[in-house]
Amino acid sequence: MTSTTTSEPTDVDPAPLPGTTKTGPRKSGGGLGRYLLVRFLLIFPTILILVTTVFVMMRATGDPITAALGGRLPPDQLAERIHSAGYDRPVLVQYLDYLGSILRGDFGTTISDHRPVTEVLLTYGTATLELAAYALVVAFLVGIPLGRIAAARRDRGVDATLRISAVVVYATPVFFAGILLKLVFSVWLDWLPVAGRATTGTEIQLQRHGAGTGIYLIDAISTGDPAAVQDVLEHAILPALALGLLTAGVFLRLVRTNVIGTLSTGYVEAARSRGVHERRLLRKHAWRPALVPIITVIGLQIAMLLAGAVLTETTFEWKGLGFQLVQYLLARDFVAVQGLVALLAVIVAVTNFLVDVVAALVDPRIRY
Amino acid sequence: MTTVIPERAPLYKRLPVVHQLRTSVGLQRTMLVAGLVLTAIFVLTAIFAPLLAPYSWDQLRAGGELFGAQQGPSADHWLGTTVGGFDVLSRVIWGARTALLTIVIGVALSIFLGVAIGLVSGYFGGWLDRVLVVIADAIYAFPSLLLAILAAIVISGGQSSMWGGILATAISITVVFIPQYFRVIRAEAVRIKAEAFVESARVVGSSHTRIMTRHVLRNSTRTLPLIVTLNAGEAVLTLAGLGFLGFGIEPTEAGDWGYDLNKALADVTSGIWWTAIPPGVAIILAVLGVSLVGESLNDLADPRLRTRRRAAATAGVVGTTTAVPGGVLSAGPEGVAGMDDLEGPPDFPLSGPTAEDGERA
Amino acid sequence: MGALVLTACSSNKDDDGASGDGGGTLTIGTTDKVTSLDPAGSYDNGSFAVMNQVYPFLLNTPYGSPDVEPDIAESAEFTGPTEYTVKLKAGLKWANGHDLTSSDVKFTFDRQVKIADENGPSSLLYNLESTEAVDPTTVVFHLKSKDDQIFPQILSSPAGPIVDEESFSPDALTPDADIVKANAFAGQYEITDYDLNNLVAYKAFDGYKGILGAAKTAEVNVKYYAEASNLKLDIQQGNIDVAFRSLAATDIDDLRKDDKVTVVDGPGGEIRYITFNFDTQPYGAKTPEADPAKALAVRQAVADLIDRKALSEQVYKGTYTPLYSYVPDGLTGATESLKGLYGDGQGGPDAAKAKKTLEDAGVTLPVQLKLQYSSEHYGPSSADEYGQIKDQLQADGIFAVDSKSTEWGQYSDDRVADVYPAYQLGWFPDYSDADNYLTPFFLTENFLSNHYDNKQVNDLILQQATTADADARTKLIEQIQDLVAKDLSTVPYLQGAQVAVVGKDVKGTEDTLDASFKFRYAALSK
Repeated sequence: MTSTTTSEPTDVDPAPLPGTTKTGPRKSGGGLGRYLLVRFLLIFPTILILVTTVFVMMRATGDPITAALGGRLPPDQLAERIHSAGYDRPVLVQYLDYLGSILRGDFGTTISDHRPVTEVLLTYGTATLELAAYALVVAFLVGIPLGRIAAARRDRGVDATLRISAVVVYATPVFFAGILLKLVFSVWLDWLPVAGRATTGTEIQLQRHGAGTGIYLIDAISTGDPAAVQDVLEHAILPALALGLLTAGVFLRLVRTNVIGTLSTGYVEAARSRGVHERRLLRKHAWRPALVPIITVIGLQIAMLLAGAVLTETTFEWKGLGFQLVQYLLARDFVAVQGLVALLAVIVAVTNFLVDVVAALVDPRIRY
Repeated sequence: MTTVIPERAPLYKRLPVVHQLRTSVGLQRTMLVAGLVLTAIFVLTAIFAPLLAPYSWDQLRAGGELFGAQQGPSADHWLGTTVGGFDVLSRVIWGARTALLTIVIGVALSIFLGVAIGLVSGYFGGWLDRVLVVIADAIYAFPSLLLAILAAIVISGGQSSMWGGILATAISITVVFIPQYFRVIRAEAVRIKAEAFVESARVVGSSHTRIMTRHVLRNSTRTLPLIVTLNAGEAVLTLAGLGFLGFGIEPTEAGDWGYDLNKALADVTSGIWWTAIPPGVAIILAVLGVSLVGESLNDLADPRLRTRRRAAATAGVVGTTTAVPGGVLSAGPEGVAGMDDLEGPPDFPLSGPTAEDGERA
Repeated sequence: MGALVLTACSSNKDDDGASGDGGGTLTIGTTDKVTSLDPAGSYDNGSFAVMNQVYPFLLNTPYGSPDVEPDIAESAEFTGPTEYTVKLKAGLKWANGHDLTSSDVKFTFDRQVKIADENGPSSLLYNLESTEAVDPTTVVFHLKSKDDQIFPQILSSPAGPIVDEESFSPDALTPDADIVKANAFAGQYEITDYDLNNLVAYKAFDGYKGILGAAKTAEVNVKYYAEASNLKLDIQQGNIDVAFRSLAATDIDDLRKDDKVTVVDGPGGEIRYITFNFDTQPYGAKTPEADPAKALAVRQAVADLIDRKALSEQVYKGTYTPLYSYVPDGLTGATESLKGLYGDGQGGPDAAKAKKTLEDAGVTLPVQLKLQYSSEHYGPSSADEYGQIKDQLQADGIFAVDSKSTEWGQYSDDRVADVYPAYQLGWFPDYSDADNYLTPFFLTENFLSNHYDNKQVNDLILQQATTADADARTKLIEQIQDLVAKDLSTVPYLQGAQVAVVGKDVKGTEDTLDASFKFRYAALSK
């Protein structure tokens, strides 16, 4: 997990008492290598905890075979299937077995459509990745400049409007926003497509072209057909806006808070006393130190976008991991759900580690 | 040490929200007041639903006559009727009650467990503390909606009853939010444990734990309300998401905004606006209300963000900078800092400028 | 056509003609779900819809009829009490050039039985003893019981698609990708591009020689939706030419008013009914106050109170129609057995009659009834459906209904474990024969497990299944319905219609929206 901008109350103490080794900022020991090693090792317990949580919850719902096939098979056949899949063994044995197979990279095979979970991840992961990338672009383009504007104009009308907009965006459930966006831009104005990642024609074209990265924009560009690129982009606008604006709200707040925070630090004060212009202060001195927490949050957002695009993908039929997860949930295919969530846990843990690495590299103070 | 608020105002004035309301000015005050008003409307609607709602949430007919499905707004039905033939206004009003119950249960559970575990962890320290911190951070990364769906299936055995839906949401929200309370409380506990007056209290003979608990809680009154507002907003959104994905509460059981929105999907594109807009707006207003309160509390708790005129008054107390509302949002700076304390030495006040600022304050 | 291109253009059309505007291309949207292209690995509407386009059947229903005729076969008949002989047409080929012979047929049924996948339809082959390929064009099915009148229907059911023995695995499910790659198709279409539950691109297969004839449209693309509302918007905006299964009733109602599209209705095989558990219903055999007469009165009162018209109109906006018997309208042998017996005799409800029935039987009012339904399995309107039914049964305080919904997995377990006294069920037929609405339900040992036991009904059902004379068999089927209507093992109330929404210029939809319940893309053109 990451460490971030948060100034805990503990950091307030000018001089931590001796003995509070765990809380006071003690500038000793470690070094970058050790720090990264600890962070790296933490990936494993994190994954273990998440996987265990999922396992426990899924088992609490009963065995996956009954959930998926109950009522479609006579009881004796059902029992036979449960037995052959090993779901009648003690839970602990199943658990260890499950951990074992995850270690081997085997996340199970879905019950409803007989596909290895890793294959499902590869097939749909690219779509989610693409959406996440679009959303991040939107969030960057909207959130960061607006955040800086809000900081510069703090407590004035612009600031108020921006901040309240950020809260409203957060308060609007993405599926409700989705309905309204579709109604306005697809039905009334007829500017943008309703849902999906591309028109059927373009999708077939992309399939036949065989670039096969699964990231439609790249595939479309590689066909060299501008119409296909346009089609793909048009389909991306609404979902990217819905998910991106949500994230932009986070960025806006984060940038604003951190820029305002750094503006009053000694080092900016010093620059100010040297007669550096207020605008330059804002652009340069206050901005650079504010970057680290922003990077950290962006990293976290990537992890959360991968895991949390469930509603956006469902609303816009963006056939990515979140969408597929809901389909499996509705089909009560718990092997698929368990596998996908476990895989997501791995991704989240690894992303967080990478974010720590980047943050450590960017902020020299981490290399004590 | 800045563990105690400097001046001693009467108790009611020192209550979290009241205190902030008094010290706020200008825009921050406007936001806080707006948030409080919206929240009050929401809570009152929920409490007085039986008086306010013209019909019951599952009523299909009055005086022997069916309401009819998807009827437009009229004198009898101010906001028309749904596809299932229910009165929209009534269901929106009763839905507030479901949402409020979810919030109350979710928040109460999270606070209780988060505080308890945080105290234990901070107080005892050692391996237990480390394990709990890792667990808290790991759970934190779990999408709460997904957890809620799983919880819905586990808890209700698939029966979409009112309490099943409420508990599923409340419990999943609890699981996701425990780490946040845990983090704040634990940090306080660790700090206070080492302070001299705790030791001296012990010498005098007071119970160690009691002293700790009291001080930790007193110091946390500045940060807890922020998390509570986040917690509440997220509860409403998760409940709505659950309803929207088809894991909601059946209409014969209770009003559920997310469920109604889900059912209204087809209506919107058929020119029937009155079935989707009211529950949607209700969700937005409810979340907006608590989020605005949270946003202002956050500003007021942070001297750097507080409107300058009063900034000096209670300096020295730096709250989390992170009442960023929301699951995705709060995934930000919130909740992850516990890790800072994990490895013991070396410690990384990664917080950068903000930490330094805090030290200076 | 013009309108389609125009509106579709706003969201771009490429010039390759791959999209829905090239003369011979049709784009169809659906919310169906495919689980597997392997006939041994799926037993659901979505997968079967694809199979009907691309696999050959020995027997099939021609356009407009529920009755089966030889498809790629030349003849099919009983050559002995337990011997059903099918002769294939000569010179049949798979789209990949392999020969289609009796050996493929034997392979198909052998593997179906061997694999017996839990998601597969192998249970339909309950009466198949063995399959024998006598010569390259002759297959003999050896059956377990004699004169099975249903077996020809089974050959057109989900268990019936013939597969290529050179492309499919004999003892395991074959992955979709391998099937598409091997081009192992020989129906009216072959699949050229396949992306599971996202899109399927079909191309007419000119080697198909069956009764359905050649496809009218050279290329068909099918787009899969998860949200009906998106499907609706796309057909309305002209981005697709056909929307088939399943739009919300509100959507269909709205589209009927839209002059850019046509809504086509056809008979539907889907039925909805309330099942009573004879042991646990009020006054049931295992309850403390067990009393068969009172129990019957309770069932009769429910039948008296159900207002089918209100359900059909308010909840389903006419996409489901009232059903007054067990075999739905459109199939040979359908009756309206319940119409005269219950309610006002005209199909409407009658609370006074229900009250009298109960009072005559000595039942104290209100009757406490626990009514269970599944929240999502039978479509999104189940909650509204049961909200209405609850309301109807509570008329005049006759019943006090406690209605609860349960998620399907749990529901399936509970209902056969006698947990629910009265509950919702629906049925979609495996094949278009009245038998499929009687045998599974009203034999003593049945799918409902509701402890209904009527020796006479049981015997009659067994008798009709082996009655070769069509008229005599129809008489028996009618008689069975009249008997069950008196006992009320279940109360049927709705029958689903098939509804397709098509662009103004699309022709041929009426031809395939028939009681075979197979939607063939090959009938469509524009």
